[in-house]
This record gives sequence, C-alpha cells and structure tokens, in this order.
Amino acid sequence: MIPRIEYYRFGTLNEALRFLRNNPDSKIIAGGTDLIIQLRSKKVEARKILDISRVSELRYVREESEYVKIGALTTIEELKNSGVIKVYAQPLWRAVNNFAVWQVRNTATIGGNICNASPAADTVPPLIVLEAKLKLQNIERVREVKVEEFFKGPGETIIEKDEILTEVVIPKKDSSWRYSFIKLGKRHSHILSIVSVAAGLKIDDNKIEDIIIALGSVAPTPVRAKSVEEYLRKRQATSKLIEEASGEVVKDIKPISDVRASAEYRIEMSKVLVRRALNECLKAYSHGIKSG
Amino acid sequence: MSSITFLETQKDEYSILEEWLKAREFIYVGSEVKRIDALEKVLGKAKYVEDFLVDGLAYARIVKSNIPHGVLVSVKPGRAVEHPDYIALVTSSDIPGMNQVGYYIPDQPALAEKKVRFHGEPIALIVASRPRSTEELRELVEVEIKPLEAVFDPLEALKDEVLVHEEHGSNIVLKTRVRKGDALKALQESDYVIENTYRTGYQEHAYLETEGALAIPIDGGMTIILPGQYPHLAQSIISRVLGVPQSKIRVIQPVIGGGFGGKDDMMPIVGAQAAIAAYKVRRPVLLTYTREDSFTSHCKRDPAYIRYRSGASKDGKLTVVDVDIVFDAGAYANRGPFTLWRATVHSTGPYEVPNVDARGILVYTNKVYQGSFRGFGNPQIQFAAERQMDELAEKIGLDPLEFRLKNILRPGSRTSTDQLLEDSVGVGEALARVAEKCNWFEKRKNYGKIVDGKAKGIGLACAWHGISTSRGVPDWCNAYINVAKDGSVTVFTGIVEIGQGTHTGLAQIAAEALGIPLEKINLVGGLTDAPDTGATHGSRGLSLGGTAILIAATKIKKRVQRVASRILECSPEEVELRNGWVYNRSRPEKRITWEEAVKRCYAEGEDMAATGYFYMPKGRFDEDKGRGFAYIVFSYMVVAVEVEVDVETGLTKIIRVWPAICAGRIINPKLAITQIHGAIIQGIGYTLMEEVKLEDGRILNPNFTDYLIPTIADLPEIEEPIFVEDYFRFGPFGAKGLAEMALIPIPAAITNAIKHAVGVKPSEIPYTSEKLFKELSKRWQG
Ligand SMILES: Cc1cc2nc3c(=O)[nH]c(=O)nc-3n(C[C@H](O)[C@H](O)[C@H](O)COP(=O)(O)OP(=O)(O)OC[C@H]3O[C@@H](n4cnc5c(N)ncnc54)[C@H](O)[C@@H]3O)c2cc1C
Repeated sequence: MIPRIEYYRFGTLNEALRFLRNNPDSKIIAGGTDLIIQLRSKKVEARKILDISRVSELRYVREESEYVKIGALTTIEELKNSGVIKVYAQPLWRAVNNFAVWQVRNTATIGGNICNASPAADTVPPLIVLEAKLKLQNIERVREVKVEEFFKGPGETIIEKDEILTEVVIPKKDSSWRYSFIKLGKRHSHILSIVSVAAGLKIDDNKIEDIIIALGSVAPTPVRAKSVEEYLRKRQATSKLIEEASGEVVKDIKPISDVRASAEYRIEMSKVLVRRALNECLKAYSHGIKSG
Repeated sequence: MSSITFLETQKDEYSILEEWLKAREFIYVGSEVKRIDALEKVLGKAKYVEDFLVDGLAYARIVKSNIPHGVLVSVKPGRAVEHPDYIALVTSSDIPGMNQVGYYIPDQPALAEKKVRFHGEPIALIVASRPRSTEELRELVEVEIKPLEAVFDPLEALKDEVLVHEEHGSNIVLKTRVRKGDALKALQESDYVIENTYRTGYQEHAYLETEGALAIPIDGGMTIILPGQYPHLAQSIISRVLGVPQSKIRVIQPVIGGGFGGKDDMMPIVGAQAAIAAYKVRRPVLLTYTREDSFTSHCKRDPAYIRYRSGASKDGKLTVVDVDIVFDAGAYANRGPFTLWRATVHSTGPYEVPNVDARGILVYTNKVYQGSFRGFGNPQIQFAAERQMDELAEKIGLDPLEFRLKNILRPGSRTSTDQLLEDSVGVGEALARVAEKCNWFEKRKNYGKIVDGKAKGIGLACAWHGISTSRGVPDWCNAYINVAKDGSVTVFTGIVEIGQGTHTGLAQIAAEALGIPLEKINLVGGLTDAPDTGATHGSRGLSLGGTAILIAATKIKKRVQRVASRILECSPEEVELRNGWVYNRSRPEKRITWEEAVKRCYAEGEDMAATGYFYMPKGRFDEDKGRGFAYIVFSYMVVAVEVEVDVETGLTKIIRVWPAICAGRIINPKLAITQIHGAIIQGIGYTLMEEVKLEDGRILNPNFTDYLIPTIADLPEIEEPIFVEDYFRFGPFGAKGLAEMALIPIPAAITNAIKHAVGVKPSEIPYTSEKLFKELSKRWQG
C-alpha cells in the first residue's frame, strides 16, 4: 500500500529545480518503475512526489562532434531504437536490448536506472566502460561527475537533495576500441542480473593498449575490475592470459548471497563472464568489427 | 482381484456410451472448431469477477498473520475506525455458522480462531467503502499474537515436538500404503537394486488473476460470483459457514483468469470469507487478494521428500519398487490426503512391477498449505520414479528407452495395486513412436559431449495418471439439456470454463449427438443452477462433463427419432440426425428440418428437456491389504526432451520437446495442443526455476521479480503431439482426461536429459542453474 502523498508535476526543468530547492523532502519520480515498487513495499518513504516525466527538454539522444548526449528522461526503449547509441555506445545498446519487457522499457528512463543506484542496474557497467559522465543540476549550477564516482552504496548516491540528473555524456572514443556486454540471469530473458559485465578493449598489434571492465550485482555498487585491467594492460592478448586475468576479478568484487544467488555462485560467474566478455572483444577484432 | 461394480439403474446410460463408442464418422468430434469464448475474450467483453459492479458495493482485504505459529490473543480495528472509509472489521466471531472450510479433514478455519498456524494465514477481513482504502486500513488493524515455537521441516515435524494441531495429537495427518507381492524379499533377491532420495519444492499457480469473490446478500441467502472450479463445492462450504441451506446459496461463475487447481481449493474458502463479510455488513462485498496475498496465503503444490528403492533382474525386468513418500501438508490437510494417495499408487510409474511397497506420510508444518495443482501429487512421484528408471537402466547397462519398453504397461498388465488393465493402455505405442520421431538412438550416441562450453542431451520420461476419483470415492456427472420450441438448445453443466476451452469441447459433443450446427448450442456452465457435475479438476471436465451431456442429448435424440419415424415412414433407429436435418437413412430425400422435428415433439407429447446423470462405476480398494481397484482408467503421457547445458554457468536451455499422449478420443485437437503446450511450459518452470524461498515460514519472494516463471525466451520448440487414441468406454466417444498430463513427466525428462548432457544425477527440483553449476564443480574437482 502506498501511503498518502502529495503529488507535484512541472513541465520545465526550471520549475522542477525551483520546487526541489524549496521542498528538499520530496522524491523525484521519472518512469516510476523502481520507485512505485519501493513505495509499495515501504523501502522508500516519501511525503511529496515530484513528477519530472513531462519535462520533455530532458528527453533526447544527441550526437555532437565529440560526445553523445542522452537526456536523463530518455526511455530505455528509445535508447534501444537509437542508431546513434548502437554505433557510439555499443555496450549500452547491448544492455538496453536485454532489459525488462517492452512495457517497462517504454516508461523506464536511463536517469531512473542510474539514480536508483541498484547494484544490478544494467546501464551502469556499460556507462562506466564508456567513461561516461553525469550532469547534475540544481537551480544555480551544473556539475559533472564520472559515473563510477556517483554511487555510494545500494540506493545511495552523491546526488544532493536539490539536484536532478539531467544528462549522460558519453565521449566518442577512437574506433580501435571493442566492447561487449554480458548479463547472466536465472532465465533467458526478462530478468534481473545475477552478474553483468561490460568490457572495453583497445588493442594495437595484438597488444592491449587500454582496457576497462565493470561489473554489476557483485558489490554494493557497480564496480570496476581494476585488478583484471592491471593484469592485462600493455600485455599481449592471448586466451591463456585472459583466462588467468579473469580470475583476478575476485579481488575487485564483494558479492552477497540473496534470493537470487549465493555469493559463491556470483564469484564463479564473475570469472566466467569477465573471460567471456574479453574474448568477445578479441573476437570482434579478429572479425574486423568496428565499434565506432 | 479388482472387479468393477456396475449399477442396474445405469444400464441405459452404459448402452448409450457403448453405442457412441462404435461411431466412426463425425462432424464435430475430432475437428478444430473455433473456441466459443474466443471473440468475447479478444474483444475485452469477457467479464471477470471484478467487472461486476453492484450498487452499494463494499471492498474487502484479508488481514494476515505475520507469525508462523502462535496464540491469537486479540484482533481490534484500532485506529482504522477513525478512517472515513472504514465499514467493518470481520473476525471469526462474526461467523454465523461453522468456522470450518476444511476439505476432507475439518481442520481449517475460514478466519483464524484461537491460533494461527502459518505466516500469511487470514485472521480477519477489513471492509471499506473504497477499494484503495482497504490497503491503508488493514495496516491499522491491531493483531496480538503470542508466538509459539514453530516447525517448518516435515522430517523434523515427524518428531511431534511442536504440534501444529494439538487436538490432532500428532503432526502426522495420515498415512497411505500400497502393497503387492513381497518387496522385502525381492529387494534381497534382485540382481540390481539402487536407492536414491528425491526432493521437490512448492510450486505457485501464478495465475494471471488472483483470488476474488463478490458476495451479494439476497433474501435469506447469498449469491456469490466467484472464479472457482466447482460451484457446488463452494455452495456447500459457504452454506456451512453461513448456516444457511445450500438451496439459498447461489454460486455464479464469471470468466476466470486461470485456475490450474488452485482455484478449486481456494475459491470455496475465499467465497466463504466474502460471504461472511457481506453477511456482517449487510451489503455486497468484493473481496480480492493482492498478488502478494495470493503468494503468501493460497495453497501451492506439495513439497515432497521421497526415498526410492527399486530393483531389476539381469534381463532388464523390474522386480521391485519400495518407496517412502513424505508430503509436506503445510498448516492444513486440504487436499493432501488425496494428492498423497495418488502419489502412492502412481509410485511405480507406468510399469509392470511384481513387488511393490509404497508408504506415504502426510505431515503438518507451520507453512502455507498444499493444494490441488495440475498433476495433483503425481509430478513429484513421477519425477522420482522416472529418474530412478534412468539410474537403474545405467546400472544394468541398458538404454533407458529399451529398459522402459521391457516393462511398460500394456493391455492385460496389472498395476501397482494389482488392478487388471483390460484396455485403453496406449503408452507402449506412444513410447515407441516418440523414440522414433526424436531419433532417440542417434541422439543418445552423439550428444553428451562438451563443445564450446555447451553440452546437449536427450532424455525421456513417461507418466500415467488415474482419471476420476480414486478407490470407491463416488464420482458422478450430470447435465441438463433444454430444447426450446424454435430448436435452439441450452446445455447446463456444472463444468467450468477455466480457460482450457472445455465449454467448446462440450458444445461439440452436444452438437454431434443431436446432429445440429454448433451455433444452435448455448452452453451455460459453472453455476449452481446447473446440476452438480463434480469439479473441473483431475482432467475430468471434458471427459465426465461430456459423458453427461452425451447421455442427456442422446435421450432427446431418441425422442426426436420416435416422433420423426412416423413422418419419415421408417423405424426410429433408421432416423438419422445430421447437420440440422432429420431424415430416413435409406431414403435421405425423406427429411424434415431439426426445427420442424422439435415442433412436432412439442405437439405430440415428447419431453424436450433431459438430464444426463452418470455414476462412474467403482471398484473396491482394500486399505488393509493395500491392494485393489484404484482408478477406472489411466491416461498416459510420454515426452522426449532435448536440452543444451551451458557447463560454465549451469544455465539449461530446453531445445525441443516431443510429446505423445494417450487420452482416448481427442474431441478437439487444437484444444488438446494448447493444453499440452501450457502444461509443458508450467513443467519447465517447475523443473528449472520456480522456487518459493522461505525463512522461518515467511515467503521471501512473494512477487514475480524473484519467483520466476518461464518467459517466451525460455520455451522450446514443441513438436506436433502424437495422439494415441486408446478409447475409454465410459468417456464421451472414448475420451479420457488430458489437461494435466503433459506436465507430469517433464521434470524427469528434463533432468534425465541434463544427466545425459553432463553426467550429473539430479535428485532435486527446481534444478536451478546454480544447483547444476555446483554439481558440475564438484564433479570436476572430485
Ligand atoms: C518488470 C521490471 C523489469 C525490470 N527489468 C530491469 C532490467 O532488466 N534491468 C535493469 O537495470 N532494471 C530493470 N528494472 C528496474 C527499472 O525498470 C529501471 O531501473 C528503470 O530504468 C528505472 O527508471 P524509472 O524512470 O522508472 O525510475 P523511477 O522509478 O522513476 O526512479 C528511480 C529512482 O531514481 C530517482 N530518479 C529518477 N530520475 C531521476 C533524475 N533525473 N534525477 C534524480 N533522481 C532521479 C528517483 O527518485 C528514484 O529514486 C525492471 C523493473 C521492472 C518493474
């Protein structure tokens, strides 16, 4: 049961920000696909709701010369149908293609997926790998933070009470990067991840020049697999090396046991998925598939 | 050994059925007519229980126990009374009749009284003038419960240290036993004996529509609209609870959003709860369960613990089955006595076994109670029996198919209870045909190897399933047919349309028997205005419901033949009814229309209404000896399943399923196929992912985020079913039951295929990816 709450809706960002400044005790709702459930189960309590779903100025995917910019209210379905995302944000595109069901994708927003700060949020590991930044705005100013610095714990972020996430900024990277995203659930679709892995590799002449790996659902926040990255950086890519490196991921993760999976299973699956994700990137090289 | 008693009073009915069994040409039977309820459902015009709006309607929700076992000290509305929408808090003290909704054993209250026995047990009802306020109000209700120590594990409960029902004196509800030959001796003397323990979990019905009932007080009685599976059972339970004669209780069936057995058990209870509330507030009350209420408070498939020993001789003949079955009843006995009995009888699988000792125990625990669910106790035991067959085959060094073919039941075989099967046993043929169609031997040879981290496997399983009630438990059916003066026909049946399409099949049967177009039939079903036809469960709706309609229609047909014979100048037997014409068989040009014939019947003193009562012949089961008549007939199912296992993650993909069914005459192949598909999907969920997670009796995943049922992406290719039409003499045109069948062998078939793929020995379902992964890691380390 959702307790009685006051409900406010504005059509412009400015009005919404002004309201937030004056009502710091209110909770933002975008698509509501997380928040409504949390209100019902009393995981979140709110007396005031600020509905930003009609702030249409925050709903876009824009390609600029050096960036791809995504308005925070862009729905998952819109990302799925975006050619720009498919070309410039490949792991994100893979993630939104294996995300919930059509009805949910039509309402769920990328901003909501990020701000909800679930360790299992599927768009986050890809955004980390793409080195995306988040624009946080209040009535006076805008600040930018790296995606991986945004999270503090399950449901907790560094966002201030008067701020709205307005935009996700993805830098266009050089075309020698290859990406992958893999999600493991307990059935074949429509499922929250037990483990998800996004990976990006930059290889030159079979040498790993640069690498970023991020995982979801295996720690209180989405995490970088820095140990794996370090193990591989500047080394020749062989399948044996990748196999070894994947084992390093245990140093980067801190999974828990819950109704979905045990911690042990998550650890084992992290190794498997990291290896698979890296091998997919390598395969993309050998097949000459470009990502941008 | 197990002779069947025939009734003198039913001689005419037997001969009607026998006559039709000989028929070879049909217009409607065996054809894929369009479902009669399709259009209204597609157009959104079908009315479900929540679509009935009545003046002055009040809304109710259950108030539940949040403690698994305790003394109920008090229930008070608290601050709820201050709310403007508050109407009443209804507790057990408001019940005018008996606070008793137990099915077979009177152990279950409509609303908890003195004690609570599981987390989620309904204690009271909150009634409000607006639906959304019910949620708010129920949280304000003050419930005081003094916790008692609780028992959750059935094996623990057997020790009787904590009693769920003190008055019963033990947690053992009852025991069952089937015995034949000398199992002990056979265990000692068999060439091969193996023993394994199997476990199965709860399964949630997960129907789209949760429970709901609308009770409307009407002069000295009550009309209740509820999506149940047996209106007359709801009528008798509600009558008991209200202390009002059954004739004053009218139950009407709306369109239902899925049942699978769960609504058979639940709707008399939920209907009684709604009726109690309506009685107290003296206005119509709509009680609905939220999805979470449905998860926490409605019955589920019985968890089972099975210790299975079986033996065979060197030449591959089964010698003995010796099995202990523990069914976890949860807090109330409900259908447990019957699911357990069914499991006990079916414990051998559909095989000839000379020595059998099967012992069942039903145990109370402080958890949500068990109940009817597609397969009714049988999927659990067929999982054990058919896994065991593969293990035994391996031990002997035989191919699992060949081992089964050597032992499969055939006409003339004797069952686990020593009942002689004279006819209608098509399972041997089904098994051979499935094996051929799926290319069994080739796949057994080629699969079972890891290629690129994946391994394919193929597995087989059979199942048998007794139709109608067991032993001497009475089973009957009835129907009432009325032909109006214009020749249009109304058929009243107690059988409920629960989405399975049975009403279409029943209309086909009526149209066939009367030789008139299907459009002339108005099928009115599932309400107490119709004669008591028994429940729509146990795969009996089309079979028994159809038998009654066939009998009633044939009585009318005979009257039409009698009158028409005078006009058509022939004997009544020579009068043919077909396509809306009534004609002389040897001179077809001598004919009148059906409408004309009906008009003449009205004019010449023929009764144009008839009932079709039929009492299923029964035999005797000797409870002391554990032998005798178990079921009048069995349906059979065979499936082969091909899987692909991701050996690094344990995720299993079902690639393809080959089904074969022996359900006698297939009245409508399309309906049959949809039932087979639905049952396979439900079986896949049961086997691989559906898992109720409990902590101290509390369900941790009462939602579809974490209680997983299969999605379209989890579904395999399902091959065209093989129909082996092994006619049943008391079914309409030889039809037996079908709707449960395809689920029953699925758990064993899938796990046998997984074993073939990667060599593990699954002994527990759900066999989740994590469990399989753990098994695989153990093997590789060991
Ligand atoms: C059936 C179902 C399936 C799902 N499947 C998946 C899945 O496969 N993968 C997955 O990752 N998730 C899944 N989800 C979760 C959910 O749909 C996503 O997290 C979604 O992206 C949330 O977006 P929303 O707009 O609905 O957020 P809301 O529920 O509106 O908000 C979520 C949180 O973010 C805050 N918030 C929202 N927008 C902003 C903003 N612009 N600035 C500041 N704070 C903001 C809200 O205050 C709230 O705390 C599923 C949910 C359901 C119900």
